[in-house]
Amino acid sequence: MSGPAPPPGGPLSRSNSLGGPQNAGLAGTPTIPPQGSQGPGPPAGPGSQQNLNQIVLEYLNKKGYAKTESMLRRESAHQDPEGKPVFQKLEEEGGNKYFRSFNLIKGWVLDDNLEIYKGELLRLLWPTFAYCLLDLVADYYPRDAEKFFETYHEMFTREHSEDLRALSRITLPEHIQASEIAKLYRNNKYRLSITMMAFHSLLQFLESHLEEGGKIIMNIMQSHMNIMTIDRAKASSEYSISAMLHRGSTEQEMPAEDEGIPGHHPGSANTSLNAPEVLPKVQLGPAQRESDLMEDVRADLEKEDAKNPPVAGRNTLVEELEKTIKREPDDDTPNRDAVPLPPSTQRDVMMEVQKIKENRDRFPIPGRTGGVGPGVSVVMHTFHNTFDSINCIEFSGDLKLVAVGTSESYIRIWSIDGSPLPSAPTSTNPNPPPSASKRLIGHSAPVYALSFAPSTSEPDPTPLDSPANATSPRVLLSSSADKSIRLWSLDTWTCLVAYKGHDAPIWDLSWGPFGYYFASASHDRTARLWSSDHIAPLRIFAGHDGDVDCLAWHPNGSYLVTGSNDKTVRLWDVARGTPVRLFTGHTAFVTAVAVAPSGRLLASADEGGAIILWDLSSGRRLKRLRGHAKGGVWSLAWSVESSVLVSAGADHTVRVWDVLMQTPDSISAQPGSGAAGGKASADATTAGAGAVGKVGDAAPGGAGAGGQKKTKGKDVVVSSDQISVFPTKKSPVYKVEFTRMNLVMAGGVYLP
Amino acid sequence: MSIWNPDNIRDVAESVGIASLHKDVADNLARDVEFRIGQVLEEALKFMRHAKRTTLNIQDVSQALRVLEVEPLYGYEATRPLRFGEASLGPGQPLFYVEDEEVDFEKLINAPLPKVPREISLTAHWLAVEGVQPSIPQNPTTTSTDSSSLLPRGPSANPHLAATSGADNVSVKPLVKHVISKELNLYFDRICIAVLDASNEEYRYAALASLRSDPAIHQLVPYLIQFAAEKITHNSNSLFILTQTLHLLDALLSNPSLYLDPYVGNILPTCMTCLIGRHLGTSSDTPQSVFALRDLACSLILSLIKKYSTSTVSLKPRVARTCLRNFLDLHKPLGTIYGALIGLTKTMGKEGVRQLILPNCALIDARLVKPAANEGDERKKFEADMVIAAFLRALEVLESNTGEIKEGLNGHATQEKREDYVKEKLVASLGEVLGNKVFDFDKQRPEFVEAVLENVKGLPSPGD
Repeated sequence: MSGPAPPPGGPLSRSNSLGGPQNAGLAGTPTIPPQGSQGPGPPAGPGSQQNLNQIVLEYLNKKGYAKTESMLRRESAHQDPEGKPVFQKLEEEGGNKYFRSFNLIKGWVLDDNLEIYKGELLRLLWPTFAYCLLDLVADYYPRDAEKFFETYHEMFTREHSEDLRALSRITLPEHIQASEIAKLYRNNKYRLSITMMAFHSLLQFLESHLEEGGKIIMNIMQSHMNIMTIDRAKASSEYSISAMLHRGSTEQEMPAEDEGIPGHHPGSANTSLNAPEVLPKVQLGPAQRESDLMEDVRADLEKEDAKNPPVAGRNTLVEELEKTIKREPDDDTPNRDAVPLPPSTQRDVMMEVQKIKENRDRFPIPGRTGGVGPGVSVVMHTFHNTFDSINCIEFSGDLKLVAVGTSESYIRIWSIDGSPLPSAPTSTNPNPPPSASKRLIGHSAPVYALSFAPSTSEPDPTPLDSPANATSPRVLLSSSADKSIRLWSLDTWTCLVAYKGHDAPIWDLSWGPFGYYFASASHDRTARLWSSDHIAPLRIFAGHDGDVDCLAWHPNGSYLVTGSNDKTVRLWDVARGTPVRLFTGHTAFVTAVAVAPSGRLLASADEGGAIILWDLSSGRRLKRLRGHAKGGVWSLAWSVESSVLVSAGADHTVRVWDVLMQTPDSISAQPGSGAAGGKASADATTAGAGAVGKVGDAAPGGAGAGGQKKTKGKDVVVSSDQISVFPTKKSPVYKVEFTRMNLVMAGGVYLP
Repeated sequence: MSIWNPDNIRDVAESVGIASLHKDVADNLARDVEFRIGQVLEEALKFMRHAKRTTLNIQDVSQALRVLEVEPLYGYEATRPLRFGEASLGPGQPLFYVEDEEVDFEKLINAPLPKVPREISLTAHWLAVEGVQPSIPQNPTTTSTDSSSLLPRGPSANPHLAATSGADNVSVKPLVKHVISKELNLYFDRICIAVLDASNEEYRYAALASLRSDPAIHQLVPYLIQFAAEKITHNSNSLFILTQTLHLLDALLSNPSLYLDPYVGNILPTCMTCLIGRHLGTSSDTPQSVFALRDLACSLILSLIKKYSTSTVSLKPRVARTCLRNFLDLHKPLGTIYGALIGLTKTMGKEGVRQLILPNCALIDARLVKPAANEGDERKKFEADMVIAAFLRALEVLESNTGEIKEGLNGHATQEKREDYVKEKLVASLGEVLGNKVFDFDKQRPEFVEAVLENVKGLPSPGD
């Protein structure tokens, strides 16, 4: 511990009018006060540092060496009488500083703050907590880190239980490099929106408490957070007052749309700070089909109309076709050449004809008229004696087959009606016995997803010139933890192709709406696009910060939606392979996604049981449907009219939701005027999406008056737009699907 | 916090021949091991989730290890969940181990083959037809699932939506007769008898103690309160029943597991009756016991206010209004005046006394207390005394924390003069009887008189 040394070349060395000891300040040199000194003698031993300083100071003072004196004072200020350093600054307190800082801001946010800002400032606590914890770990205070976590984690368990679980184990600096979440938080900035006033009062508070911890918080905010200030008065902005108000009412219920690690302008997939406010355009209109195909379909429909004229009050099939298909290519229709399809075949024509027929003859589910919700019929298919070995259930488009993928690596297919499945004679068994089910063996690890090729039921009566089963699915895709996708023939019940490319288990898989292309989602954080005639992927969709857990095609085949472990949902442009929308707001892993047949709306569900509806073109959240218990919503399905959503999950229920109804959870900021209006509302089948805005505006104010009481704990809040709930007998429901006739097919497993 | 603590590390180290491990090393290793286990579990949970299961099994863990490029553990594969046995190392030190059945090879070979597990089979049924769940054996019965918890509630819930799902009659259910179990019915009957059993003191106290502590009587609360109200309205001449009923209410109020908020409105009038009722008891009852009953009622009301005035904001004003009305009604008997007086004092505190009681002291003194106090009737006289006592108690409230005591009155030098002045002033503002009574305190408690004087200063002299 060296005493304060005079600065080299300081005034001391130059002004030596007195021959006194000029090196008075140097430690270790026994210093005798100059003779002239009459001041109070040092009572303690001369060895004491403080006394020494005192003496020297007095001397300097007397001599008028003001600069030297002040220098000495300053330099000796950080030492206590014993010469040990005094911790005046919080920075020097070690791990404890984070406790103090966090306590400081927590106390301020919770108590000493205006009520109106409390909601938004509460959002600040989570990133502060996370970064404090990570900094503690990075600075190697393992015990403090554990204590910090124990002390404060309670308040975040509602919303961030997954992250907490991962964070709880990070105690050593090396773990930060090994842990996904820690890396994610450390390498990215947490984006947060705060209104101007709240932000300023926050800054003011922190600045006035710099030494008590404000500095630490400021540092964290500067280095790890990306705080956007919003002007409350800027009502024209999409996310301002109304969104704020709603957030206020359901305080701390869910994060804002632009909050979080992949912080972004709401909806935009561009996460850079200066991302343009204008979202990239998405063309959500129905796909434009090949003109040859459409002509053939029309000819067939005319024939059909002539043969079986429609009953009174019904449209002819051709009229139906006009209504649904016929339209000029416009801005909203994706270019047909962007995602080219092979030339159509007779099978395609037959399928289109059948689709038109089914669409006309379907059970109509109108939008909410007269306050009465539609009555939906659900057929439940239950599997018994499974010992929980079934991973997924899939129905074929012609509703003749149902397939399951099992943990035991095989796939099993049943005919739904129990009729024997056709089996081709093999060399070993020329005359196989008829059976209602088939096993497909080939994978070497659990099968996680299946997808039947698009198909429709057989036209009735079957045209004479067509082969039997012309519109049946013919092939089935499966994906497995063995990193491969397999294509199975349903004629010979054998594996045709194994597509390899993913580097990790493949969680989900789906055929495109017109066949030929299919997409897969994997543990390796990518989704990939394949075509059935290439064994290598055509596109790789990379960007998710976690496993891609589920995917769904946009009905026009030009876009793909993926849901991920990182709690985001993304919309990808299939042709370009780039993300065009990013949806954040889920607080748990995304377990299912589904795009409405209208192409405008997206539903995504998470493990916590929440379902969120999004507007694709504006990228905004529409509302949240609550009711499912924790444990995962495994499947979502839209009615043909896009007005009703059906969900099924681990809580043994199938739930039916009213998409159009406004609830307090819905964001009243209406989707951008651009794409939602326009052409869509003219179209009967897609009227649903266009109506969202209208119904919303006309909805009685009563619904919006914050009727939802937030209940803490296990009690699940059911939002008011749930039309009905159908519990099953101890059977978690893995799959729900709307048929083209608006019948719901549900698949579950009985687990007594 | 750590599940895998340094002791485990040391044990493992010893087992592989490392005798002494530095403490820091063990600590660090323990933390690291825990972190790695966490990583594996995180991955394993993903596999569980994608298998749409809610229990983690061994396969998930080995899959997770594979994904993390760690060699999976062999020999643990099992299709059924592992069974864990528990052994005790000592008190509070359980040791868990995988229960491994010992199988006799000979036996296993000679044993008959186990039954083939049943084939997976598929059945279909209607879960819902046009929005209504048919009640067929394949669907759960409505009673087995609490269907009300599945439906949206609150003001924003759409009844039409519920109606279409066929669940509308569920929400109507509360209108159906409230069914109480036989046991509770019996309990209720017994309690009612026991509480009012004049002959057996032990019986009464047992009943009250049960009401005070039993957590399971919530269903009976409305009935008990109804019972109390009935008893009090029909038995205003039986002090015993009134007192017992108040005790019953008190017992309910002090039961921590009951939620009485909705019933406060029903409890209050019952208590008020006992506080300010015109005629309580019969002439054979001693006047003391009547006043004791009023005191009891008053304290019950006070505790009601203390407990529920946050949830029922109108509670306090309601009590005060009723008391004041009775207090100012000169046709009411002295008993009622007394009840109103203590009610006002207790509920409104100092400010209430100053604003409401003091200005009216002289009036009541002149009209009611003075005639009664001077009457020959022993009973009337006692009642007047009680009212005076109540007044004095009310005035005492004024005294508390009025600040420091002032020395003498300004400008009145001699003791005699001062006394005269004080007496005059007191009598003028409080009435003859009351003023004199207060003045009597001048000797022992000058502070008290001082406080009263302080407060009556601002009052205009009463008209008569």
